[in-house]
Amino acid sequence: MASSIKIRSQQLDDYTEIKVLLSHPMENGRNRDVNGILIPAHFIQEMIIELNNKTIITADLGGSVSKNPFFTFQLKNGNSGQTLTVRWIDNLGQSDSAEHILE
Amino acid sequence: MHRRRFLSHCIQLIAAPVIALFYPKQATSAWLASHFATTEFSPQFQQLYAGLSITDTTDIEISLPDIAENGAVVPISISSKLDNIQGFDIWVEKNPTPLAAEIHFSADVLAVMTGRIKMAESCQVIVIAHQNQGLLRNQKWVNVMQGGCGTG
Repeated sequence: MASSIKIRSQQLDDYTEIKVLLSHPMENGRNRDVNGILIPAHFIQEMIIELNNKTIITADLGGSVSKNPFFTFQLKNGNSGQTLTVRWIDNLGQSDSAEHILE
Repeated sequence: MHRRRFLSHCIQLIAAPVIALFYPKQATSAWLASHFATTEFSPQFQQLYAGLSITDTTDIEISLPDIAENGAVVPISISSKLDNIQGFDIWVEKNPTPLAAEIHFSADVLAVMTGRIKMAESCQVIVIAHQNQGLLRNQKWVNVMQGGCGTG
């Protein structure tokens, strides 16, 4: 299965921009399917971003984050070749992780 | 017997800080169901920041559309040039789950981010920035054209 995580990075003058796209339904438990059945809550609770195994960003999320969460952040001292790791875990205990070498 | 107990204590004394060294983050960054409760904004907001003073400031810059066509995907960007910002909490006042996200930064990250949030209806979006022990607040009104189900 293709990874649920897409990571991009770009070195800019004063910082390194990172973009993270997570494929996830982010259901808040209040929506109904075409048959009117309530769709159970299913959303990412925690996203953790590490740079060379050191945690630099943690994000606790709720069902008010849009489907397929997309974030951008800026690293102060990112160097090309460093390893960025993104992990998520959702309310059903599912999880995924991906690595990206900074451009 | 004494020697055995002594050795076992030694192992425990050495092991505890070593284990703590390897698992510091997991223990502190647990997702809190109480923060993301489905409830009214005001009591939830007051409970989360009980006893803390909040300073309103425009130094936390929030960029949001004035009018959001689709409440399911509302782009938000937050930035601040202030020092020692450790994170942002994003609140959507009228959403059934008012707290959308709590983002924590280390010192390696600038206090700049973008994301996408759901909005059930027109309301204020409130950002709380954590700066050392203090809290800073800014907010922006967004008119939502199409909200309701599938969003908040």
